[in-house]
Amino acid sequence: MNNSSVHAPNSYLRHLGSSIGALLLNIAMLAFSITCIFPIVWIMYSSLKTKDEFMLDIMSLPGSLNFDNYYTAFVEGEMHVYFANSIFNSVVTVLIVIFLSFCVGYALSRYQFRGRNVIYTLFLAGMMIPVYSLLVPLFIQFKTLNLTDKMGTLILPYVAIRLPLAIFLFESFVRTIPRELDEAAYIDGAHTFFTMWRIIFPLCKPVTSTVLILAFLDTWNEFPFALVLITQRSLRTLPVGLTDFYGQFTAEYTTLMAALVLSMLPVMIVYLAFRKQIIQGMTAGAVKG
Amino acid sequence: MQPNNAASIKPRKAVLAALLLPGVAIYVFITIIPLFTAFGYSLTNWAIGPNRDFIGFDNYVRLMGDSVFWQAFRNNLVIVAGNLIVQMGIAFLLTVLFMSRAMRGKEFHRTVIFLPVVLSAVVVGFIWQMVYSNNFGMLNAVLRSLNMDSLIRLWLDDPKQVIYSVTLPLIWQYLGVPLMIFMSAVQGISKEVYEVCEIDGATGVKKAIYITFPLIYSSMKVAVMLSISSNMLVFSHILVLTGGGPGTSSMVLALYSYSTSFTRMQLGYGSAIAIGVFILSFGLVLIFKKLAEVGQSE
Repeated sequence: MNNSSVHAPNSYLRHLGSSIGALLLNIAMLAFSITCIFPIVWIMYSSLKTKDEFMLDIMSLPGSLNFDNYYTAFVEGEMHVYFANSIFNSVVTVLIVIFLSFCVGYALSRYQFRGRNVIYTLFLAGMMIPVYSLLVPLFIQFKTLNLTDKMGTLILPYVAIRLPLAIFLFESFVRTIPRELDEAAYIDGAHTFFTMWRIIFPLCKPVTSTVLILAFLDTWNEFPFALVLITQRSLRTLPVGLTDFYGQFTAEYTTLMAALVLSMLPVMIVYLAFRKQIIQGMTAGAVKG
Repeated sequence: MQPNNAASIKPRKAVLAALLLPGVAIYVFITIIPLFTAFGYSLTNWAIGPNRDFIGFDNYVRLMGDSVFWQAFRNNLVIVAGNLIVQMGIAFLLTVLFMSRAMRGKEFHRTVIFLPVVLSAVVVGFIWQMVYSNNFGMLNAVLRSLNMDSLIRLWLDDPKQVIYSVTLPLIWQYLGVPLMIFMSAVQGISKEVYEVCEIDGATGVKKAIYITFPLIYSSMKVAVMLSISSNMLVFSHILVLTGGGPGTSSMVLALYSYSTSFTRMQLGYGSAIAIGVFILSFGLVLIFKKLAEVGQSE
C-alpha cells in the first residue's frame, strides 16, 4: 500500500518526462525536415510572384497566383524546346535500356557459354568508370564519326551508361525464376525469343519498373554528356537549357524560378508516385555500384 | 546452379549473339574504347587544330607541377571531408532517431529528406545559387529577419568562404543516400537485440554507440566509399554555382579537366587531367578500403 503510493507519482512523472521528450523529438525532427525542404518550397511559391513583388519582399507568399513567369519561361525562354528534347531522350533511352538489358540479362542468367565471365566483368567494371574521364575521348570520337548534334546523339551514351545496373538487376531477377518454365516452353516447341519475351519478361514486372524509373530519372537529369555532345540549341535538353536560360534571364529571378520548377516537376511527380521503389532501387543501385 | 541444368537448353550461336551483341557493342563503343583513347590522347600535345604530336609523359610531368590541379584536388578533399563528417554524422543521428518508437510521421520525414536526391545537379546548383544570392537570396533574408546580420556573408563571392558554401548543397542533396543505406542496415538488426539491451539497462546513447554503430559498420563503409568516389568527381553543381570561381578558389578536379579541354581546347592536357582525376579518386577509395579492413581486423 505504502509502496504503491510512493511509486504512482514517480511513474507518472517518468511517463510525463518521456512524453515531453517525445514531443521535443518530434518538434526537432519536424523543424529539420522543414528546413531541408524549404529551399524548394521557397522557389515554388516565389515563382508565382511578380518580379516587383519578389524584389519588395523576398520571403513573403505571393499575394495572388500569377502564372506569367511560367508563360515567359515556357514560350519566350524556349523551355518547351528543351522540355520536348528531354522527354524524347528519356523515353527512347528507357525503352532501349529495358530491351537491351533484358536481352543481355536473360542470356547471362540462363546460358553458360564461353566469354560469359568476360562480359560479366566488363559490365561490372563499367560501373566504376567515371563519366568525366570519358568526356574528351567521346567528344572526339563522336566528332570524327560525325555523330554530334543529331537527334539521337545522346541516346547512345545514355543507354550505355544505364546498361550495367539494369543488366545486373534483370540478371539476378531472372535467376530467381524457375528454369523449368523455359524448359517446358522449349519442349512445347517455343522459340527462345518467344519464351523470353512472352513468358519470362512479364514475370519480371517489379524489376522492369525499377529499371524504368531509375533510367528515366538519370536520363532526365543528365548534364555532362548533353553539355559536350550537343551544341545546337534546338537539340538541348533541360539541364543544359537551364544554364542557357540563366544567361538570358540573369536578373529575372522569378522567371528563373518558374523555369526551375518546370524542370523539377516531372521528376517530383514520378518521385512522389513511386517513392518506395525509387528509394529502394537507388539504395540498391548505390550499394551495388 | 547445376551444370546439367545449364546445359539442358543449348542456345544456338545465332540466338546468343542476337541477345548479347547489340548491348555489348554499344557499351564497348561508349565506355571501353574511349577509356583507352583517353590515355592515348593524354600522351599528345593536341590543342585545337589538326596538330597532334606524341610527347610521351610530358603532360603528366606538367600535371605534377600544376598548382591549379593540386588546388582543385585540395578542394575536392575539403568537399569529401565535409560530406563524410557532416552528412554521415547527420545521417547516423537521424538513423538513431528514426528507430525511436516515439517518432511520428517517419514516412513523411523519409520522403522529404530523400526528395533532393532525385533532382538534377543543375537544378540543385541553381536553387542554391538563389539561396546564396547576396541581395535577393533566401539565406541572407532569413538571417536578416532573425537579426543575425553579423552572419551574412558573400557566400559565393568570398574566396575564403566559397568552398564551404559549395559543399553544403552536396551535403543537402545526398543526405538521403547514407540515411537509406543505414536504415536498411538497421532494419536487419533484430528487435530482440535491442530489447535484451533495454532490459540490461542500456540507454538511447549507449544503444546507439554500442549496438547500432557496430552493426551498421559494414554498410557505413559502403556509404563512405560511395561518398568519396562521387564527391571526388563532383562537377555540375560547381559549374552552375561558381564555375570554379572566384578565380580558381572553388575549382574541382572534374571541372578543371572539363574547362581545360573544352574552354581552353587543350584536348591532350585535358585528357591527362581526366586520367589523373581517375587515378586520384580510385586511389583514395582503395586507401580507404585498406584502412577500413585494418580497422575491422583489430
